[in-house]
Amino acid sequence: MLKIPRIFISVLLAITVIALCSPPAWAFCGFYVAKADASLYNQASQVIIARSGNRTVLTMANDYKGDVKDFALVVPVPVVLSEEQVQVGEAKIIERIDAFSAPRLVEYFDQNPCMTLPRGTTRGAADMAMESAVPEVVQADRALGVTVESRFNVGEYNIVILSATESDGLETWLVQNGYQIPSGASALLQPYIRQNLKFFVAKVNLAEFNQSGFQSLRPLMIAYESSQFMLPIRLGMMNASGEQDLIVYLLSNQGQIELTNYRTVQVPSNVDIPEFVQNKFIEFYKALFQTAYEREQKKVAFLEYAWDMQNCDPCAADPLTPEELKQAGVFWLNSQQFPNVFISRIHIRYTRNTFPEDLQFQETANRQLFQGRYVINHPYQGEMTCDAANTYKQSVRQRQEQEIQNLARLTNWEINAIRREVEFVNVEPQPWWRQLWDQ
Amino acid sequence: MLSDARNAQIVFLSTFLILGISTRDWTIQPQLIGVVVCSCLLTQWIITLLQQSSLWQDWEQYSISRSSWKSALITALGLCLLLRANSWTTMVFAGGCAIASKFLFRYHGKHFFNPANFGIIFALTFTSDAWVSPGQWGTDWWYILFFLGTGGMILKQVGRWETSATFLANYAILEAIRNAWLGWSWDVYTHQLMSGSLLVFALFMLTDPRSIPNARLSRIIWAVSIAWVTFILQHQFFISSALFWALFLLSPFTLILDKIWSSPRFTWHSIPVIKSRIKSSQV
Repeated sequence: MLKIPRIFISVLLAITVIALCSPPAWAFCGFYVAKADASLYNQASQVIIARSGNRTVLTMANDYKGDVKDFALVVPVPVVLSEEQVQVGEAKIIERIDAFSAPRLVEYFDQNPCMTLPRGTTRGAADMAMESAVPEVVQADRALGVTVESRFNVGEYNIVILSATESDGLETWLVQNGYQIPSGASALLQPYIRQNLKFFVAKVNLAEFNQSGFQSLRPLMIAYESSQFMLPIRLGMMNASGEQDLIVYLLSNQGQIELTNYRTVQVPSNVDIPEFVQNKFIEFYKALFQTAYEREQKKVAFLEYAWDMQNCDPCAADPLTPEELKQAGVFWLNSQQFPNVFISRIHIRYTRNTFPEDLQFQETANRQLFQGRYVINHPYQGEMTCDAANTYKQSVRQRQEQEIQNLARLTNWEINAIRREVEFVNVEPQPWWRQLWDQ
Repeated sequence: MLSDARNAQIVFLSTFLILGISTRDWTIQPQLIGVVVCSCLLTQWIITLLQQSSLWQDWEQYSISRSSWKSALITALGLCLLLRANSWTTMVFAGGCAIASKFLFRYHGKHFFNPANFGIIFALTFTSDAWVSPGQWGTDWWYILFFLGTGGMILKQVGRWETSATFLANYAILEAIRNAWLGWSWDVYTHQLMSGSLLVFALFMLTDPRSIPNARLSRIIWAVSIAWVTFILQHQFFISSALFWALFLLSPFTLILDKIWSSPRFTWHSIPVIKSRIKSSQV
């Protein structure tokens, strides 16, 4: 994060469009199951986790794209949840957090090298909307060793909390109640049963949903207290053939939250790139992420943003207000003080082979700031009538060359293709001694 | 040079530190490294001076060793590798506590807390801006082998390999049993064990020969206990810094074990000792 005088801060683009291009897969922390052979499409999953001490509020974005009546969600949770502990959230808040923390493109305009002019404005940018859908099925059968710990309705969802004694029983129960479980689910459910986790099962209440007038399904929020701090992702890998994306927004009052069982790497950041990327920022970031991901042998998580939420520099979106933070699950806000929330945005692209363990997190006191930030420098386009003009143009030419190298290195795009897109500054070639003796 | 195993340990710890910063993307701030090194050496020097003064002359069991700065440096490097903090005051606190524990917690002339471990635990407990990052090394094979190789070299030099081996074997077995009982596939297990931090702990921290039990049998019992306590803290209480806590909690156990099985205490062999012998023989 650099403060350059007379900076023109500008367009910021959100990145979660990457989500649009992930291959179809099951949900990350549970699986979406269908009543009949509905084809499921699951984009990048987004989760907000607000954690302080042993208390967690988990918000799961619901991006199910299919027939609402076919949706169901199964998530292992550490404790039995009561009706009060489950809420329906606002999809908007996930968009807001996403926009706030997304990797950003900033542009600077060079001033006239012949004189100095102050300038500056700021603009924000939009984000991708999340869509979601939810199917429904619920039933209980004690003979299978499955106990319905609680059952309630929240918003357009019917929720059931189950505990099970053995995985075959749980699988049978789910199947009998109309869930089409992927084959092999029982084997994956077993570790969670053995760890004494409960199962949060949600489906859509069609009558409520139609009445509510919502176009898409809203996120589910659960609040619980447990010293376990983990995010189960193995269930979601069940039938996934390709890579899945997961973006976790971790909110804390201490500092960064980090993974303890996987290495975390910062995305390449603070790099100058050519001007034409402004129109191709989405592709640029997708290529950048994929290149970084492959360079690390696909085994690491990426930190895209770590910041104190009171401010931002530059801002990709307005900081969240205390009300919005509450909607995101922040529960430690004191109305008198400034909100003390630190956000860590971790982006994971995982497959069954590279991420065999569920994600384990820990809070740390690390308050170092980081953001994915990519810089475009626009050369001065107006009239330049002084001696310094040619020197300036040469420095711009060099800078453009460096930007091309940066882009090729970051995205693995073919360097000649990049060169063709760049509008090079016109430099009159002059012998080197002229610069020395000012002739 | 390699007759003193501490030289090798200093070289290896420094190498790990440089490797970690340059290739593993660590969040450590370079100036904090300098702060830790300085505070460890300074504390060592100050306490040594105090002991030389008339106030402490009745502490005869402590013999002043000129090469004790090497131990202080090793402690400092251990802290740099493992502990993270926001502010330099926390690192000074950790370094000071680490070295001070060598002098304050002694029994019959032997300090029984691993200094770096003590510093880490105290910083984690009494300051609000210290943390350890178990995932900082990742699971690449190369690092694992590198750690194993260098650790083995050092341990062979000081003859304490059985402590590491026992700890790792026990911990691995416990994790294997748990993994099988839970029903995870085996790649989850290998992923859990291939933690660079676990290896650094087992090879470089657990085997500080001056503070661990003296007799071989007691070391084995001690290592088994640490493996068990680590396992319980990790999976029952979900503490991510379980390793350090286990070592800390079981350090006083060293004294009990030493009472039961006695054996000569380990001493570093360093060249200055030989020189002084020659000098005294010439007098």
